[in-house]
Amino acid sequence: MLGLAWRNLARHPLRTGLTLLGVAVTAAMLLDMVMLGGGLDRSFGELLLTRGYQIRIAPKGTMPFDSEAAITQASPLIAALRAHPEVESVGPVLGATLYGRPRGADSLVTLVAYGIDPQDQGLYRLVRGRDLQPDGTGQVVVSAEAAAALGVAVGDSVRLAGGLDPLAARTVEVHPFEVRAVVEWLYDFQGQRSAGLPLPALQRLTGTADRDPVSFVMVRVAHDGAVPGVATALTEAHPSVEVSSVTDLMRQFRDRLLYFRQLSYILGTISLVVAALLLGTLVTVTVNERLGEIAALRAIGIRRSTIVSHIVLESTALTVVGGAAGAVLGLVTARYLDTILTAFPGLPASVSFFVARPDALSVAAALLLGTGLLAGVYPAWRAARLPLASTLHEEAT
Amino acid sequence: MTPVFAAQGLARHYRSNGQTVPAVNGVDLTVERGEYVVIVGPSGCGKSTLLHLLGGIDQPTAGTLEILGRPVTALRDRELTSLRLREVGFVFQRFHLLPVLSAKENVMLPLAEAGVPRAARTARATELLAYVGLAGREHHRPTQLSGGEMQRVAIARALANEPTVILADEPTGELDAATGQAILDLFRRLHADGTTLVIVTHDAHLADQATRRVELLDGRVVADQSRDRG
Repeated sequence: MLGLAWRNLARHPLRTGLTLLGVAVTAAMLLDMVMLGGGLDRSFGELLLTRGYQIRIAPKGTMPFDSEAAITQASPLIAALRAHPEVESVGPVLGATLYGRPRGADSLVTLVAYGIDPQDQGLYRLVRGRDLQPDGTGQVVVSAEAAAALGVAVGDSVRLAGGLDPLAARTVEVHPFEVRAVVEWLYDFQGQRSAGLPLPALQRLTGTADRDPVSFVMVRVAHDGAVPGVATALTEAHPSVEVSSVTDLMRQFRDRLLYFRQLSYILGTISLVVAALLLGTLVTVTVNERLGEIAALRAIGIRRSTIVSHIVLESTALTVVGGAAGAVLGLVTARYLDTILTAFPGLPASVSFFVARPDALSVAAALLLGTGLLAGVYPAWRAARLPLASTLHEEAT
Repeated sequence: MTPVFAAQGLARHYRSNGQTVPAVNGVDLTVERGEYVVIVGPSGCGKSTLLHLLGGIDQPTAGTLEILGRPVTALRDRELTSLRLREVGFVFQRFHLLPVLSAKENVMLPLAEAGVPRAARTARATELLAYVGLAGREHHRPTQLSGGEMQRVAIARALANEPTVILADEPTGELDAATGQAILDLFRRLHADGTTLVIVTHDAHLADQATRRVELLDGRVVADQSRDRG
């Protein structure tokens, strides 16, 4: 049956080819929209859980990296968190701006700096070199972009300052640091120049040691199932800070992405409608051309259900072949669009707008297949209800 | 024995421009097994309509028709379709072969529909194509065959499920005289082998070789003559 359906379609190769192309384009668009619909928040969720920290604690009313607000006098809070029986790991983070002077240059390089606890950090992955030592005062890890801008490599020394003197237009409090490693920062946007150093060192360098600030704290709970309970307990124990589980953060993030999801639903629906129109038109045209043949088949005893199956199969074959080509096209365009969208400033480069997950592929395939089947139903119904005698009479005259 | 067709007061009227047009108008006709019947008459006299009624692809507006003892108006579409598949073979003026299938695949189509296993239907199609003189042409597509060859494939297809009767509508209408003669010879052979034939035709040669000639005029039977060709 499939062979007959395909041979019927191959009667008009150009027409079938153009329809397949159209189906492929709409399938690609549908796939991209399905991937976009749930891709960014899934990707964001996975990113937040990359290092297993399921809870974030930020200044009241904020999200991590959402503002420049900080939790001051953070050491007692950190100590209390570490003392919680369900808490496995606590990673404080301070965000600040540092200035580095490239070798042999007068200009300054502005760096995004993270003050972290080298033993409890969930912000970076080592690319080359060695990690900061637990008491790594005078040590720094940098992103590849920062290393390039500063002209340093692992083992080199770099001079960093925590501020600028606006009157003298020069740095203040310059300190030498040993570059221990080049690292990949998980939450950096594309091309970001970042440096990481022990939290106390950054606090001293930025002149905030007396306030003991942290921007947020990452908390890892021993068992995922205990996360909601721990988050609730920490909220009650520390009402002056914002305690959010990754689930909470994802919910907030999802709310912010409502526009993306609506856009993807609308465009995905449009692509399905276009696919249905394309397939429906082609199959209707091919059926109209074969009314005499179909009436003759019915006359020689071919059942309505067989005729319907053949026509729906033609529509389905177009959908499957066009959809397969569309899947490839969709993945390629998604990758291209992803490189454009993730280049937006302020977005972590490691998040993806388009996530090719099996469930996204399955949803797109099921929607497209359903559309293909529906598109074949009308012409098939028409063929099945054909008045045999008058159709054969018209064919003979 | 139950007749192949038994029609009483059979009528088929159409509505056209607000008027009732009687294409077939009160036909009484019984066709017994083994008969070779030609239906003749001027264009528009209702020959094809009568054939369509006999084949169960059109419904009468009045009268009764039994096909192998089964009243067609009481049969559901599914039953009529099954009856056509197994008991009635159709041959059309314009052949109506599927152009995307080979000669053999066209013949195998009604066999597949009847649920005949693949090996058996391949053998049967090969045998039938040899019977109609197309051995060696099994894998040719209709576009690679002449008109006469296409009609022979159509006859082989009509014979696929060993029907009780073959209905043919102007089977030589699209063929030249020589090719038409080959089809006539084939029908003669089919009749000699015991197949019941009911053929609508304008072809005088075809009409001459039948054992019974039914003449229609304005939807009515005006002459019904049996001749012994034995």
